Amino acid sequence: MVTFFLCAAAFLMLIGRLVYLMVGRSEHYTEAAKALHERERSIKAARGRIIDSTGAVLADNRTVCTISVIHNQISDPKKVVEVLSKELGLSEEYVSQRVEKYSAIERIKSNVDKSIGDKIREYDLDGVKVDEDYKRYYPYETLASKVLGFTGGDNQGIIGLEVIYEEYLKGKEGTILTVTDAKGVEIAEAGEERIEPESGNDVYVSLDINIQSYATQLAMQAMETKQADSVSILVMNPQNGEILAMVNVPEFDLNNPYTLPENIPEPSSQEEKQNALNQMWRNGCINDTYEPGSTFKIITAAAGLESGEVTVNDRFNCPGYIMVEDRRIRCHKVGGHGAEDFVQGTMNSCNPVFITVGLRIGVDRYYDYFKQFGLLTKTGVDLPGEAGTIMHKKENIGAVELATISFGQSFQITPIQLATTASSIINGGNRVTPHFGVKVVNGEGETVKTLQYPVKKNIVSEQTSETMRYILEQVVENGSGKNGYVEGYRVGGKTATSQTLPRGSGRYISSFLGFAPADDPKVLAVAIINNPQGVYYGGQIAAPIVRQLFENILPYLEGMNYNT
Amino acid sequence: MAGRQKKRPAENYFDYSLLFIVLFLLGFGLVMIYSTSSYEATLQGHESTFYLKKQVMATVIGLVAMIVVANIPYHFWEQFATIAYIGSAVLIVMVLVPQLQYSANGATRWIKVGPLTLQPAEVAKLGMILFLASLVCRMGRAIRTTKGFFMVLLIPAPICVMIWQITNNMSSAIIVFGIAALMLFVASPEYKKFIILAAGGAAAIAVLVFFISQAASSESMGFRSERILAWLDPEAYASGKGFQTLQALYAIGSGGILGKGLGQSMQKLGFLPEAQNDMIFSIICEELGLFGAISIILMFLLLIWRFMVIANNASDLFGALLVVGVMGHIAIQVILNIAVVTNTIPNTGISLPFISYGGSAVLFLMIEVGIVLSVAKGIRLKDI
Repeated sequence: MVTFFLCAAAFLMLIGRLVYLMVGRSEHYTEAAKALHERERSIKAARGRIIDSTGAVLADNRTVCTISVIHNQISDPKKVVEVLSKELGLSEEYVSQRVEKYSAIERIKSNVDKSIGDKIREYDLDGVKVDEDYKRYYPYETLASKVLGFTGGDNQGIIGLEVIYEEYLKGKEGTILTVTDAKGVEIAEAGEERIEPESGNDVYVSLDINIQSYATQLAMQAMETKQADSVSILVMNPQNGEILAMVNVPEFDLNNPYTLPENIPEPSSQEEKQNALNQMWRNGCINDTYEPGSTFKIITAAAGLESGEVTVNDRFNCPGYIMVEDRRIRCHKVGGHGAEDFVQGTMNSCNPVFITVGLRIGVDRYYDYFKQFGLLTKTGVDLPGEAGTIMHKKENIGAVELATISFGQSFQITPIQLATTASSIINGGNRVTPHFGVKVVNGEGETVKTLQYPVKKNIVSEQTSETMRYILEQVVENGSGKNGYVEGYRVGGKTATSQTLPRGSGRYISSFLGFAPADDPKVLAVAIINNPQGVYYGGQIAAPIVRQLFENILPYLEGMNYNT
Repeated sequence: MAGRQKKRPAENYFDYSLLFIVLFLLGFGLVMIYSTSSYEATLQGHESTFYLKKQVMATVIGLVAMIVVANIPYHFWEQFATIAYIGSAVLIVMVLVPQLQYSANGATRWIKVGPLTLQPAEVAKLGMILFLASLVCRMGRAIRTTKGFFMVLLIPAPICVMIWQITNNMSSAIIVFGIAALMLFVASPEYKKFIILAAGGAAAIAVLVFFISQAASSESMGFRSERILAWLDPEAYASGKGFQTLQALYAIGSGGILGKGLGQSMQKLGFLPEAQNDMIFSIICEELGLFGAISIILMFLLLIWRFMVIANNASDLFGALLVVGVMGHIAIQVILNIAVVTNTIPNTGISLPFISYGGSAVLFLMIEVGIVLSVAKGIRLKDI
C-alpha cells in the first residue's frame, strides 16, 4: 500500500511539473521552438528615388534577377545546364559545375536583366530559382555624381545624398518565413509567412537638371581649354540656400563607381586603389578647403561697413604696396592704383585698401565678425564630410596676419562656405543653410516631411547688405569683374586669383563669385578653376564661365517664375 | 500475505484488466513510434515504417513469450534464482569480448549473437527480481535483523557496479538498485531504517548538487557534473549538454493543453535526439498535449495499482515479491523517464516502458508481465 502511494505521489509531482511546463511555460517554449523551426529569407525593399526640382529622376531602381539552382530539386540537370548556359551566355562547364555541386542553394548569376530572368522563368525548370531584386540605377550616369553618391551591395548609401537621406530612402526589408526541419529542409505543407517589404520614400532635391547639365558642360569646357586639374561650379539661391547645381569635374560614372578613370596608372595595392577611389569621389565644393583670395574681400568690406570703420566715400591712396609693421605687402598692381574711394578700391580689388580697412576694424572685432558671419562653423549642408574652416587661433593673430586675412589669404575655407557667407551678406543679412533636400514623399505621392533648415537673422544690417550689392554690381559693371557682365541683367560679383600653397609653386586657383539680379539676388554662382595653365586671372577665365552660365539660366529662371 | 496455496482451478483468477492496460500501452507505443520515427527513417533512406516494423516484430515475440511464461507456474523459476544472478554477471562481462560486443550511439551496451542483439542490463533487471524474491523467501525472519537488511542491500551492489562501470550505463544501475531497495522495503517491516536511508541519500545529493553549482566556474569538470549544471539551467548549455533537455522542453512546452495533434510534432523532425526512444514522452506531450500526457500517466498508475492488488493477494511471499519487483522496475522507469524529459532530474538515458522503441526492453518487460499474470493465476477468487 505504502509503495503504491509513494508511486502515486511521484506521479502527481510529475503531473504538476507537466502542468507547469505545458500551461505556465507553454508560451515561452512555443516561441523558442518557433524561432528554431523557422528560417528567414529577406526580401529587399525598393529604395526611394531622388528627384530634382523639375521632376527628373536622378536616382532610380532597376529590377534585376538573381538566378540560382537548388541541387536536390533539379529533375532534369541536362536541360538546366543547356538552358542556363544559353540564356545567360555562360560556358556549359561553368554551369554544370554549379548544377552538380551538392549545396543548399548555388548562385549562378546575379544582376541579370529582368527580361532574361522572365525568359528563364518561362522554361519552368525544377530547381531553378529566379529571384527579383532591385539595383540602384542612375539614368544620368555622371551628372552630379559627387552630390548624389551611390549605394553599396546591401543597397545602403556610400557617399553623397544617398548617405544623408538613408533613413528616408532605404525602406524596410521584408521577410519570408519558412518552416524547416533540423537540416534546414523546407517543409512544404507548413506553407510560408510573408512580411512584405516597404519601399523607401522619394527625396525631392533642389537640384535643377538643366542648370546642372549646362554648368557641367561649361566646367568641362574650361577644364579642357585651361588644362586645369579640376573645375567646380556651385549655383545656389542666396535667399533660401537651395543649391541648384553643384558641379565638380571630373565627375565619375555612378553606375560604375568602382571604375577608376583610364588616364591614371593602375594602382599597385588594394589600399592604393581605395585611396584613388576616395580621391575620385571627393566633392571639392564641400570636402576641400582653399585660400579664397580676393572673393573674401566681400566679407572684409561687409565687416568694415557694418562696424562703421569705412564708408563708400572714404578716400584711399595706393602706391602699389602697404607697410604693416615691418612688412611690405604688395598690391597686385605693381604701380599702384593711386587715389581711389572705397568703391573704386573694391572694383580694383586693391589690397592696400582692404588691409587698411582690416586694420581699422582690429583683431578683436574682425574675429567677432568672422564668427558672427558663421565662418568658424560648418555650413550644415546636407552632404557628408563637410570640411571645417582652417583659421588662426585668435591669440596668434597679429597685424600682419590680420592684413593677410583681410584680402583672403593665410586661412582656408570651403567653396560652399564662401558661397553661403556671400549669400547671407547680399540677401539682407540672413545666414542661410545651404541644402539640397526639399521634401520627402511616400509611394502614394503624399509629402511625408518638408525639410526645414535653420536661418540666422541679421548677421549684417539690411543697410550694409544693400551697400554691398551696390559695390559688387559696380565691380562687374566697371571693375575687375566686367567679364561677368550679362547684357540686360544686373549682375554683381567679385573675382579672385589665389596662389596655392606652397607659394611660388606656380599653381593658382582662379575663381569668380557672381549673383543676379544685383538689386534682388535670385541666384548666386561660384566658379573655381583649380590649377589652370596659361592665363590664370580669375577675372579673365572664371568670370566668363559665370557670365555664360547666367546668360543661359537667368532667362530660364525668369521663365520658371512666370510659370509658377 | 496470503496463506498456503490450495489448488482449485475452476476458481482461479486471470487479471484481464492488467492484460488490457499492457496491450493498450503497447498499441499506443507503436502508434507513437511510427509517428516519431517515420521522418527520421525516411531521411536515413529507409521506408517510413522501418522502425515500426522492427518494433512490431519485437512486440509479437514479446507477446508470445508473455503467453508462454503466464502459463508456467511461477515456482518453476525459483530453481534458476542463483543461475540468474551469476548469468547476469557473466552476460555483462561478455560486453567486454570484442567478438560479441555491439555498439550503438557511441555506447557499448549490447552483445550480439548472430542477428540478435541483447542488452545484458535488461537481463540483469529480471535476474535481480528473481534472485531477490528467492533470497528473501529463504532468509525468512533473518530479514528483520540489521545484518539481513544490509545483506539484501549489498548483494545487488556488485551487479549495479558492473552495469555502471562496464556498460557505462548509470541509469540501469540505478534501476537495478532501486528494484532491490523497493523489494527490501516491502519485505522488511521496519520503516525507520528506510527513512534514515532516504534522508541520508537526499542530503548527499543536495550537497553534491550544491558543490557542483559552486564549482561551475572552475575549469575541470567531469562529464556528469556538467550534466548536472545543464540540468540546473538548460538554456545556458543549449548547444552542449543541455541540448537534448532543452529540445525536449521545447516539445513539451509547445504542446500546450490539447497538443498539436497526432503526427504534427515539429521537434521530431530531427531537432530532438532519440525522439522515438528515451524522449518519446516529450513528443507525446507535443502532439497530444497535457491531456494526452496525463492520460498516459494515469494508465501507468492503473497498471501499478493492478500490480499492487496482485501482490497483496498473491498466494505466497515468493509470488508477491516477484510482482513487487516487476512493479518496482516499471514504476521506477516511468517516474525517472518522465522526470528526465521534464528536466525534473538531470538527464540520463531511461526508456519509457512499453512505449519507447527498443527490442530487448519490450521482450523482457513482456516476460515480466507474464510472470505477474502467472502469479495472478494463483489467486483464488474467494480471497479478493
